[in-house]
Amino acid sequence: MRGFKVVEARDANHAVALLAELAPSVKVLAGGTDLLVDFKHAPHAPEVVLDITRAEDLKGVSMTDAGLRIGALATHTDIMRSPLVRESLPALVDAAHTIGAVQTRNLGTLGGNLVTCVPSMDSGPTLVALEARVTVAGPGGRRELPLTEFFVGPRKTVLKPDELLVDIIIPKKNVGKPTDFLKFGLRKGQALALVNVASSLWVDPKKTFVEPRIALGAVAPTVIRAPEAEAYLEGKKITPEAMSEAGRIAAGEARPISDFRASAQYRRDLIAVLTRRTLENACARVQDVRPGGSK
Amino acid sequence: MTEVKMKLNGETRSASVPPETTLLKMLRESFNLTGAKLGCDVGDCGACTVLVDGMSVNACLMLANQVDGREVLTIEGLATVEYLHPVQEAFETFASLQCGFCGPGVIMSAKALLDENPDPTIPEIRDALSGNLCRCTGYTKMIEAIQDAARILRAKEHA
Repeated sequence: MRGFKVVEARDANHAVALLAELAPSVKVLAGGTDLLVDFKHAPHAPEVVLDITRAEDLKGVSMTDAGLRIGALATHTDIMRSPLVRESLPALVDAAHTIGAVQTRNLGTLGGNLVTCVPSMDSGPTLVALEARVTVAGPGGRRELPLTEFFVGPRKTVLKPDELLVDIIIPKKNVGKPTDFLKFGLRKGQALALVNVASSLWVDPKKTFVEPRIALGAVAPTVIRAPEAEAYLEGKKITPEAMSEAGRIAAGEARPISDFRASAQYRRDLIAVLTRRTLENACARVQDVRPGGSK
Repeated sequence: MTEVKMKLNGETRSASVPPETTLLKMLRESFNLTGAKLGCDVGDCGACTVLVDGMSVNACLMLANQVDGREVLTIEGLATVEYLHPVQEAFETFASLQCGFCGPGVIMSAKALLDENPDPTIPEIRDALSGNLCRCTGYTKMIEAIQDAARILRAKEHA
């Protein structure tokens, strides 16, 4: 690796102050599983690396008034081990488990996965299906926005060079919402998703879909929702046919590419199947959730 | 230069390295601990696996400075002069390695698994080794050895 200087941030506010001082010739080091790999291959190293890994206030998982708060520095392993997450949103555990391997999950962070912003990110779909919001801190203070607005394109987010992703919040109304995540890769371990899908839904007493949310990964420049499939399901009776049809609609809403991993048509077929299966699995999880969770 | 002070294989050690030095480079070049190997250098192969505060990590994906004040365990810290660690012993008994390049990483991953889960199933062992690539063995004898080591460690626990 080429030489660079390292500065350490004590906490989030210190990190923001240092960013204001050092931007734009600074890169933020969190888990390092993407950043250090980039440095090894890049022709130019940054002048300064801001190491935020000791900023304790950026870590942890907790329940707040707004909902389930996951610090940007929480590792994928932290998420898998969090009793709060395991109990209220096991789909997030499943999604974290599909990322890399043990060693990379022990280092890699949720915030890093979102900031790197590759279209196949495995953290994205479940959070999008749960309408997660993110907090961004910069010189002008903090702002909150929906995760879908945080993503701009492949490897591009709304973050400015002097801004920092602080946390991810799953709104209170969706904590405990039955959700499922599925990923299709070419291997079980250390594989990028050809397609990954998450669905969340409530079921009302008449056995119809309430607030179904479907998120698709690796089939568009960023993780996307499938609003037409969601609208089709809203209020509809829960049947295998309805779930299959939602899968077909979702496949038409994506813009998959053909590459050396799979053709666009194969990815579309996968969207239809994975969407149906995540809907079925989320429905199967309904019984696990305490009644009254829905509005 | 960055000063790094850590507990390395049970002893307090320090080194002075350029800030862009990876943990792996520091282990190999400042401390001559060459058990952790430089394989892919991008976190895919697991040949550089060591434990930091008990968690397995790719030493090629950490800066040396990040372990300042923390505990690092490498394959060299596993055995004593008299005794191999039960995982190492089982790998010998089952002839789990061929060329051996991946061995230190695999054994550290196995140690991290057994520390947390004393009675892993075969799928759990496979999951725990999914970040360690071996191109010789096909993993079967590693899995058998880890199951055997788990039995021995559990027996010791109860003794």
